[in-house]
Amino acid sequence: MHSSSFLLPKPHQPANKPIKNYALVVLNQHLPRFIPRLWAHANLRICADGGANRIFDEMFQMTNDEDEKSTRNRYVPEIIEGDMDSIRPEVKLFYYSQGSKISDKSHNQETTDLHKCISRIHQRTPAHEKSNLCVLVTGALGGRFDHEAANINVLYLFSDMRIVLLSDDCLIRLLPKTHRHELYIESSVEGPHCGLFPVGAPSTSTTTTGLKWNLSGSKMRFGSMISTSNIVQSEKVTVQSDADLLWTISLRNLT
Amino acid sequence: MRHSSAFLLPSPPPAGGGPAADVALVVLNQPLPRFAPLLWSRAALRVCADGGANRVFDGMPELLPDQDPDEVRARYKPDVIKGDMDSVRPEVKEYYSNMGTRIVDDSHDQDTTDLHKCITFVVKNSDNSNLCILVLGAVGGRFDHEMGNINVLHMFPNINIVLLSDACLIFLLPRTHAHEIHIERSIEGPHCGLIPIGMPSTSTTTTGLRWNLDNTSMNYGGLISTSNIVEEDKVTVTSESDLIWTVSLQK
Repeated sequence: MHSSSFLLPKPHQPANKPIKNYALVVLNQHLPRFIPRLWAHANLRICADGGANRIFDEMFQMTNDEDEKSTRNRYVPEIIEGDMDSIRPEVKLFYYSQGSKISDKSHNQETTDLHKCISRIHQRTPAHEKSNLCVLVTGALGGRFDHEAANINVLYLFSDMRIVLLSDDCLIRLLPKTHRHELYIESSVEGPHCGLFPVGAPSTSTTTTGLKWNLSGSKMRFGSMISTSNIVQSEKVTVQSDADLLWTISLRNLT
Repeated sequence: MRHSSAFLLPSPPPAGGGPAADVALVVLNQPLPRFAPLLWSRAALRVCADGGANRVFDGMPELLPDQDPDEVRARYKPDVIKGDMDSVRPEVKEYYSNMGTRIVDDSHDQDTTDLHKCITFVVKNSDNSNLCILVLGAVGGRFDHEMGNINVLHMFPNINIVLLSDACLIFLLPRTHAHEIHIERSIEGPHCGLIPIGMPSTSTTTTGLRWNLDNTSMNYGGLISTSNIVEEDKVTVTSESDLIWTVSLQK
């Protein structure tokens, strides 16, 4: 079961859905304009290396605060994690003095910044809490394509976790083949454009409900048919497939 | 199969470097990368997909702020505007139409993406067997559009199509060929990657990279080659599966 209630303007507890525990990971790209509401929903905020520069420099423009100083004091990440080759020294010092934990992983060059952050969250979350935790990630899409591909691979490598990649234009989730998925659409903030992609391996059978062009035991494969420019037509979309699929939905103009 | 990004060099490549590619440019509906004027001057055919015409109309004068906007627009005039015409602004369409741009209205065909239609059009209107189609605005923005555009690479494996952004370029390495990628070190690299989109790869072998693959398997959920580094002017790749090659572009 999936819902994007983290995009609603204030903490919102829909009926019949378990309380979600959110973590926010900020990577080193321009902040999406709705980041303040993600920050407000999250219990844990981690900046991956240069993501801390982004919060320091850009958060003020996303808020209605009076001055930059009060924004900086208000938006302090709990953790700054990564190899520390992008974060500016004065930014690191500022957040250190404000109480952020600086977790220097410069010895580990094998994995991306997002991988390190997700790995950390994965390690510290007990198994029974994993399904209740949703990790929101900004800055994972766009920019260098190999980074984007690696960030999408993190969804596959940690498929027992709920991870949502967000940009100004859309969000992406992995729908593992092991489950039948129900996606609750928050139509005030997301839609109508959506898609389903068999990025890892082809699907010989995918079935959906709630879309304008539903799939019914349909095959999907790169080089042939994949579901792009589809439209959500219901508050609930269901997806069942024999392959892991990436789900994407467009985001409305949120401020 | 030989690949080269000589089209990105600031001056035309020297003669004797191999047969000149017949370059076509397709502009999709996203902000232009900074090198758009350079690619425009290299292309024999320039096609705007629908709202891509807005981007050229607005964006070219912005990229060339020292020049008169009307002169820029006359110089960077698309040969064709093609698509379902639901994004191109009416005044932009009229402006270019008055200047001789051919308007091809596809609004009856909703089954294929804008890029798909443009590729089909360019192929039909080019007779050069050495065709290279450069595409601007295919990556970033809405992810379903980006996936659809990458799918177009898979659907036309025998056509040389390169997707470009400010940050990087992408093209398909079809499994049917051994590939030689010539790196223009003044503009490309060093960051690169090889990504098996749509199908796991059981065996890939490379030369010329910092972390070469040696009969290595790659798949989503396992290893994919990202944040690799180009170490030589020539990179070779063979794989039993189609791969996406990407290399960063320098500022």
